[in-house]
Amino acid sequence: MAAYESQSSVNDIHLITRVVAGDAAAERELYDTYVDRIYRLAFRLAGDDELARDFTQATFIRAFEKIGSFRGESSLSTWLHSIGVSVALNGLRKTKRQRNREAPMEEGLTVGSTNVQAEPDLKERLARAIDSLADKYRMVFVMHDVEGYTHEEISGTLNIPIGTSKSHLFQARSKLRVMLADFAPEWVS
Amino acid sequence: MTEDKFEEFLKTKAQSYNAPPVRVPRDEMWSAIQAKRLAGPRVIYGGGSVASTPARFGTKVWLGAAAAAMLLVATGVGIGRWTASPTVSQVATAISTQPVVVEPDATAPNSNTDGVVAPAPNAANPAAGGTQASNGRSGVSASQRGLTSPARVLTGSPTSVATARQPATNPSSAYQLTAVQHLSEAEALLTSFRTRSTADQQMDAQLGAWARQLLSNTRLLLDSPVANDPQRRPLLEDLELVLVQIVQLSPGSTPQDREMIEKTLQQDHVMTRLRTAIPAGGQRGS
Repeated sequence: MAAYESQSSVNDIHLITRVVAGDAAAERELYDTYVDRIYRLAFRLAGDDELARDFTQATFIRAFEKIGSFRGESSLSTWLHSIGVSVALNGLRKTKRQRNREAPMEEGLTVGSTNVQAEPDLKERLARAIDSLADKYRMVFVMHDVEGYTHEEISGTLNIPIGTSKSHLFQARSKLRVMLADFAPEWVS
Repeated sequence: MTEDKFEEFLKTKAQSYNAPPVRVPRDEMWSAIQAKRLAGPRVIYGGGSVASTPARFGTKVWLGAAAAAMLLVATGVGIGRWTASPTVSQVATAISTQPVVVEPDATAPNSNTDGVVAPAPNAANPAAGGTQASNGRSGVSASQRGLTSPARVLTGSPTSVATARQPATNPSSAYQLTAVQHLSEAEALLTSFRTRSTADQQMDAQLGAWARQLLSNTRLLLDSPVANDPQRRPLLEDLELVLVQIVQLSPGSTPQDREMIEKTLQQDHVMTRLRTAIPAGGQRGS
């Protein structure tokens, strides 16, 4: 995967040239090459098929609009992922705000009734714990530990130093460890 | 050891987190992409797409305001430069207690006709006389003794000592008006930038266009006597940096880019300094 992502290959450059020239088949080829990873990442971040589709579509629409300005300083994959992550994060913030406005009453009813002990399902608890991470930690954690991106890829995609990517992953894991302390016997054993 | 086990545990269990479907809906998404590109609507994340979204301010208003600001600043700078050009009356009032030693100039006259103290005629250039004003970018080689800009200097023979009032910290009122107007615009832009929605791509584009206009004006002002003010120059330089960052903010930029701009604003107290530099009332707005 790392080798696949590493550099802007000759094929990529050729593909970009064709897309810029208005070759519809090249657009589809570019789309087919990268759509799976973009969609998977969008889905991991959004947790919702409709949102994941919207983010993926917006990513490619924007990519086709801006591909003329792509200078090959990073790989095409990194560039596309940067757009995808930006689209997803902005979209998620927007939907989060909308949901917060729409459902304050429902939240109010459940406050105080949440009981950690009443949620034995590790899968559910883990999902909630990951959701509660700050965006910068969640993004790195999902990309690295869940989707298997390397720190180099994350660094290029999120435009952060590799050290920061590692630091964010460490922070994410530490926070998850605290939040999942109830399940310690599962990993200790 | 436990750490490794936890990481392994986490990687394994986290695979279930927001697990995507095995089949990626490629064709459906491709059809939607093509339809949206043909229709030309803007994409609204998480909510499908719509033809347009209500903006707080229309594009025409932003562009109109930017164009008006550009015109105003250009006019102001032009008037300022025109009024700062050498005139007899200015030279006459340019007498100060601060002498400025100037370079020899064989071609320059060494006397004037309006009572300005002129040096003794130079033997090598007995006909020299009169006055010559410059905007301070050349001809001054001696200590300016605290002058921030040698805006007008009388030149003469090698031994000449001319006196000049420093207009450096007191640029013409046209410059002042222009500068205050410009800073008001900048404050409005930065306030809009800080309060805008991060997901609003259209707003980003408009702010970028506005910032580009203001950046040109900032650079014009940096090259004008306004920048001789020891407090205003650093403010304009910091403003220039922030505006460059905003201009470079592409629609695909990351939140880190925005954070960097925010950090610059906070670290340099740009907003506070801008507001301090703008007199209350009167000058605000365009």
